[in-house]
Amino acid sequence: MVAIIDYGMGNVASVQKALEFLNIENTITDDHSMIQSCDVILLPGVGSFAQGMRNLRERNLIDILTNEVMVKKKKFIGICLGMQLMMDKGIEPYECAGLGWVRGEVAKLEIENLNVPHMGWNNIEVFKNEYYKNCISKDFYFIHSYHVVPNIDSDIAATVNYGFNIVASIQKENIFATQFHPEKSQTTGLMLLRTYFC
Amino acid sequence: MLKARIIPILTFNGFGLVKTKRFSNPRMVGNPVQTAKVYNSRGVDELVFLDIFASTQKRKLNLKLVSDVIKQCYMPVAIGGGVDSIQDINDLLKIGADKVIIKSQALLNIDFIKEAVSFFGSQCISIALDGYKTASGYKVYNTLGVDISVDDFVSKLPNVGEFILMSVDRDGMMEGFDIQLINHVSKLTNIPIIAAGGGGNMDHYKQLFLQTDIRAVGSSSIFHFTQFTPLDIKNELSQIGIPVRI
Repeated sequence: MVAIIDYGMGNVASVQKALEFLNIENTITDDHSMIQSCDVILLPGVGSFAQGMRNLRERNLIDILTNEVMVKKKKFIGICLGMQLMMDKGIEPYECAGLGWVRGEVAKLEIENLNVPHMGWNNIEVFKNEYYKNCISKDFYFIHSYHVVPNIDSDIAATVNYGFNIVASIQKENIFATQFHPEKSQTTGLMLLRTYFC
Repeated sequence: MLKARIIPILTFNGFGLVKTKRFSNPRMVGNPVQTAKVYNSRGVDELVFLDIFASTQKRKLNLKLVSDVIKQCYMPVAIGGGVDSIQDINDLLKIGADKVIIKSQALLNIDFIKEAVSFFGSQCISIALDGYKTASGYKVYNTLGVDISVDDFVSKLPNVGEFILMSVDRDGMMEGFDIQLINHVSKLTNIPIIAAGGGGNMDHYKQLFLQTDIRAVGSSSIFHFTQFTPLDIKNELSQIGIPVRI
């Protein structure tokens, strides 16, 4: 059972739709005992970093999630904002501490002559193939104005080139995360999710 | 490398899909849910679904129908029509919209756009920018009595996620894109633009990508009224070195 964390940061419906398509049992929840009893935790999310942290705090989710992921080492997947929140700190719209599960921070995308947000389909370069091994295409859908900058290179699972190499995916022990939206990346995204969950 | 996006635009009148010419003479062109299903099976990059009469008819979007459209889509979907409150945006995001498109309320109340961006993040707020040419430059087409140039409108907006730039003069004409308008707006902003209005044959798309620096194009008529599909356009673009997702 996958716990899709409900913290008021939009678009849990698409994630759930993708999991249902793959016949993966899931529930959208902010209930502590439910989160504790699930096998996998999925943190989705779009919106600002500070708002995301505030919403997690208001629902008393920070300690329980940190305990499940960092102490009990439960399988965790973060998507988009859900990936950024794992870092030590963010700056959107002001400097703010993150969950601190992965060393590093979140920075604004500033690229001369290129549009921001980085929006659309872009191909990634994979360094950790475990979950990407069944993806025939490497094109995924990105939509973001901020990007993560991990301190430790070996935490990076994939990068994407948009003016420079941006971190597209992170994998560290039980933690996996993507800056792009696998649930919006058609067959390729569904294949990634299937490989991850099944 | 970021790929050029080829995006079917589905315009809706509250009952079925319609296609206009220069924003008038809506012609019925099909069923939205069926059409979304076909586009999903063809693996299109993204879909835009707009209720083009919701604001003028003071209707709200039919959420049940929008939800049925979104259920067909495993790619990003942008939805618009009569969106004028935070609640409206929330309702659409909740049923799985990735981006919400706003036009009338952006013209009437710029503070609403600022509020929406701070609440939901800029990436999910798209602005429909309907430009037309006048003797005194490009203006924003609307039926609200707002007289504003494209330049002023763009400069007043906060950082939004994207513009859907429609040339009113070219809408439905299938005679080519308004390259001048597109280049004009592209110089005004660093925000991604979906250029729309005028695509009728393969050469039009090639010219668009050769003569502008935009990375996304929206189209309806060519898909409704000719044999061409989004994949045909991609194959053509690929031949002139434009990166596409095939």
